[in-house]
Amino acid sequence: MNESMLCTKTHEYVLEIDKNKYEVGITDYAIEQLGDIVFVELPENGSEFAKNEVFATIESVKAASEIYMPISGKVIEINEEIADSPELLNDENYENKWFVKIESSADQVEFADLMDYSDYKEEVE
Amino acid sequence: MTKQTFLHDKHIALGARMVDFAGWNMPVQYSSIIDEHKTVREAAGIFDVSHMGEIIVKGEDSLPFLNKLVPQDIAKLVDKKAVYCQMTNKNGGIIDDLIIYKLEEQKYLVIANASRIDDDLNWMVRNKIGFDVTIVNESHNFSLLAVQGPKACDLIRSLGVNVLPEFFMIKREELFYINVWISRTGYTGEDGVEILVRNEFSEYLWDKLLEAGKSFGIKPIGLGARDTLRLEASLHLYGNDLDEDTTPVEAGLSWSVSKTKTEDYNGKSVIEEQLKNGGRKKLIGLKMLDKGIARHGYDVYYENEKIGVITSGGISPCRGDNIALAYIKPLDNLTVGSTIQVMIREKLHNAEIVKRPFVTKHNKV
Repeated sequence: MNESMLCTKTHEYVLEIDKNKYEVGITDYAIEQLGDIVFVELPENGSEFAKNEVFATIESVKAASEIYMPISGKVIEINEEIADSPELLNDENYENKWFVKIESSADQVEFADLMDYSDYKEEVE
Repeated sequence: MTKQTFLHDKHIALGARMVDFAGWNMPVQYSSIIDEHKTVREAAGIFDVSHMGEIIVKGEDSLPFLNKLVPQDIAKLVDKKAVYCQMTNKNGGIIDDLIIYKLEEQKYLVIANASRIDDDLNWMVRNKIGFDVTIVNESHNFSLLAVQGPKACDLIRSLGVNVLPEFFMIKREELFYINVWISRTGYTGEDGVEILVRNEFSEYLWDKLLEAGKSFGIKPIGLGARDTLRLEASLHLYGNDLDEDTTPVEAGLSWSVSKTKTEDYNGKSVIEEQLKNGGRKKLIGLKMLDKGIARHGYDVYYENEKIGVITSGGISPCRGDNIALAYIKPLDNLTVGSTIQVMIREKLHNAEIVKRPFVTKHNKV
């Protein structure tokens, strides 16, 4: 996990990859807690979401979980690989675990409740 | 307060993830639900199911008493033979689904669901007026270990049990110098046994079975895989697929209703009427055609009209697709092969009605 990513209390992360461009996914802790991941439903490219809006659904063997947008934004790329092969998320050697890339003009207010990865780790452990 | 089985420390030591289930803190998985599932289909798995209830019914009237409680005919049981059945209320609704063993004349062992023990005992006591029976809840004295899978019986034989009980029979045996009851039963669709042991020996027996089972590929299995295994085998889960508003006929369990028993039993008039004319709803098996997992509580549609609800659903690790059990209105034009829809996150997903069980059972039903 990249140390500069920011995390939500609901286990999503957001990572700046370029100016106003971000990668969004769920944390390694969330993946471990879910266990075998068997289904990932991602939004359509181009769809827009508000902060805290459900943008994806992930299903483990046991249950379905909704995934929330850490900040507002418009989807510019989706990770087709994990949609086709959700079990890749459980593969320790697989690195591209992001769900979507978004374009966002979110201001500081939207970032205010996000945690540094180190703080997040402390919170969940 | 959440209860723990006598094997709780063993589960923690094995790295299990624990969850609360029916008032018990139980292992849901040790490694991965899918791996554990496949281990049981291909080799052998050991389960701690000590949360299940054990009730002894004994006394002169134990047979007529039990025959009043369930639609099965308990009179047909020979010594050490078991039968799957349901305890029904006056409307034929299922209070619990049970396995009843005849241990000897006038003495029966009833295996009940953890979540239902109190209701079962209350109902039994309410029904015991006029019967000379004693009902003893032994649940807190016994642990129950299930050893299931194609290698399970070989493992038990390797421990010196030369003659295993036949399917749905129980036997008094000695394992590692401990007295146990071994029954040829399970909840996975695989061959295997369930071992009833007094609590004080359960940790010792668990360790010994894991050790001796190594060469058979045995692994500890959690409730997560227990659920996917029983779903593939289309075995009902009380609280999901069975409840007090569902009769054995509606649940597809007419095979476990005696057609010859002459005695009256609770709910008989409703159940006999439904045997002739069908129930208000019926249980079906579904396989998802569209991508998506049907889960407990999701609505089922046909021609844009709600016709039922999913009661159990998930992935089938062995088939590699998504399967479900649902109750639907009994419509004549819907049969195996028909396409209906499941509402998943506000979108209709196609599903096909398929035969149950979803995976061929390897035990001798």
